[in-house]
Amino acid sequence: MSTRIATVFPALVTLLIVAGTSHAQSAGDVYNGKLIYQRYCLSCHGEKGNGQGEFAEWISPKPRDYRQGTFKWRSTPSGSLPTDADLERVLINGLYGTYMPSWNALGHRQRLDVIAYIKTFSPRFAAEKPQAPIAIPPEPPYTTESVTRGAAAYKKFNCAQCHGDAAQGDGPSAHELKDDWGNPIVPYDLTQGHVKCGNGGNDIYRVFIAGLSGTPMPSFADSVSPAEAWDLVHFIQSLSPGYAKNLTGGAAPSGEGTP
Amino acid sequence: MSKRLLSLLLRIGLCAGLSLALAAPSSAIPAFARKYGLRCTTCHESWPVLNDFGRNFRDNGYQLRLGKDDVVTAEPAYWPVSVHITPSYEYTRVTNQQTDQGTKTLSSGGVTDAAIDLLMAGVLTKNISFLVVPTGFASDGNVHLESYWADFSRLIGNSDWFNVRVGKHEVDLPASPHRPISFAFGYLVYGYHPGPDLPSAGAAFDLGSNQLGFEISGHDQTSMTRYNVSIFSANNDSDSSTSSAHGLSSPSFYGHVEKYFRPSSGFVSQYAFGLWGAYANYPTTTYTLGCTPQYSLATCSQIVGPGSDTQIPGTGGNLQSTSRYGTEAQVWLGQLVAPLHLNFVYARGSDSKNLYLGADRAGTWQGGFLEAIWVPSVELLHWSVFGRYDFIRNRQQPLVSSPSDLGNQNQISAGVRYTIAYTNRDEVALHAEYATNTERGIGFNGSDVKTNVVFLGVDFLY
Repeated sequence: MSTRIATVFPALVTLLIVAGTSHAQSAGDVYNGKLIYQRYCLSCHGEKGNGQGEFAEWISPKPRDYRQGTFKWRSTPSGSLPTDADLERVLINGLYGTYMPSWNALGHRQRLDVIAYIKTFSPRFAAEKPQAPIAIPPEPPYTTESVTRGAAAYKKFNCAQCHGDAAQGDGPSAHELKDDWGNPIVPYDLTQGHVKCGNGGNDIYRVFIAGLSGTPMPSFADSVSPAEAWDLVHFIQSLSPGYAKNLTGGAAPSGEGTP
Repeated sequence: MSKRLLSLLLRIGLCAGLSLALAAPSSAIPAFARKYGLRCTTCHESWPVLNDFGRNFRDNGYQLRLGKDDVVTAEPAYWPVSVHITPSYEYTRVTNQQTDQGTKTLSSGGVTDAAIDLLMAGVLTKNISFLVVPTGFASDGNVHLESYWADFSRLIGNSDWFNVRVGKHEVDLPASPHRPISFAFGYLVYGYHPGPDLPSAGAAFDLGSNQLGFEISGHDQTSMTRYNVSIFSANNDSDSSTSSAHGLSSPSFYGHVEKYFRPSSGFVSQYAFGLWGAYANYPTTTYTLGCTPQYSLATCSQIVGPGSDTQIPGTGGNLQSTSRYGTEAQVWLGQLVAPLHLNFVYARGSDSKNLYLGADRAGTWQGGFLEAIWVPSVELLHWSVFGRYDFIRNRQQPLVSSPSDLGNQNQISAGVRYTIAYTNRDEVALHAEYATNTERGIGFNGSDVKTNVVFLGVDFLY
């Protein structure tokens, strides 16, 4: 029996692999996504996707309530639904400084499935399509001049009101802010050298233009020019050696978006 | 020692091993769940077997690397300690045992005197993690350190490809004997040695035991490709009377490489292949306080005088080797979140002739196991069904006159596990299992010995 197993099983594995990988790729599977959600997501986001899982009470910031279809980390304009790629980027990278870990180890197939299930919590996903992602112009080189201009823009747009003069998240309004669900929310300490959604220049630029839906962080799409937005990016990057800086311009530095 | 007595001792050892097996596993570690707010199912395919996320978390030195790993980021009240215990009823039946009333089938049953594991693990500071597992606390009062190590991650260039672990650690086996889903019997290929009819001249190497030494490991970002190399003193032989004069008392090596593949579609959600092997050495001679070479240890205390047979630590010599190596193939069918997971491991092994007293030649064997774990895709993933077939086939007996199939084994375990609750604080499961082992020729008059075990337990951690 043992000899048969030793020879038959590897052959069986090979056969299964060959036969089992020949099906066509489909979009995320909601039922499988539900099981994945129950395995990995339930304790924070809750059975109903309302962000009230058993662990939610103990942590800040609070887990996302999926029912409104409101997501912070998007490539789409303010108010729009996120794309599947936006949601998967969060799953891959996690959110630094929060209890949302990286789910990179799950693989693309499982991430698509759980995204399909998460979208069932909000009727918006059935009724609307995400708007086109915002255009991000090529990044100019990180220079002392762009940092100086960015510091001026930081004052011009009154960022210090929330983030503080030293950008440590301690502005005059810092302790009065609440998110759309009424939870107290603290402005981000930009000197940490990490941004929740990814550390690349594009990630920071995207926040200025798209805003963080559901939070007091607005979209500056109508008031900040692309050049000013890049200057602001460089000013923020100057606050910590932890940020990768693009000294030559053009393509984003390697490592962008990785935890 | 007669073969019959040896057989009886083996059976007793088997039963004792069952209790120890229940005490020894590192299992799941709820302290991590408490720290990160994740359920046990996050890291365990079917508790306590790790899934991809859990394997990656372990490879990363118990870090999620998003600014919440360091203990100073946790609540001051957080303490990285968990408790694991398994109250259980066990019934064991062993055939062909010699007694003063003749050959008998021995059976016993009852609620066992369970031991507990204190699972202490976490991150000391960025990229330095630890694990300490005191085990015991049963009515015999004994406690020992099942495992303890410090792990240094990303030692070179912030790369995951070079990490070092120091201490008493579990070597990275194709299926962990410290996180088994089957409780009744261990994996045979990790600890088997031929020649049950011969006394051993060296310690019986068990690859499944935690080993004292160093582990060097590396992996890609998601642990789909990984390697582990352990350098250790086999079976923690560093302070025994037979320890050798070498840098490691019983210098031993283990290596394991694994590669996982994830098809983008189809009913095979993942498959993996791996190679593993161990080469261990034991001293078979030693200096003594008074025995001269012409006397054996067994007789010199009577001839030369009491205490003359006392072995002097650190003087062991004439290292003799035992080796085992093999392959693994794993496949996950259905969705990875609720798969039918098949794991086949094949092994070959060899013990040097001089590891036995009176052997004619080296002992060699082959063996393996096929393990299946099925997590039905029902709501909340409470159930798992498992089974395993282990086999051992001797290829060459150390004693020429021994029957060629002496010590051959067939072992089957099957069971079901229902997790009543798993939260980010605790986990409790009901575990029912039946297992049977048949070993050729080790019973009275060369008869086979069959051991059956029924196990019903409540496995919980908090």
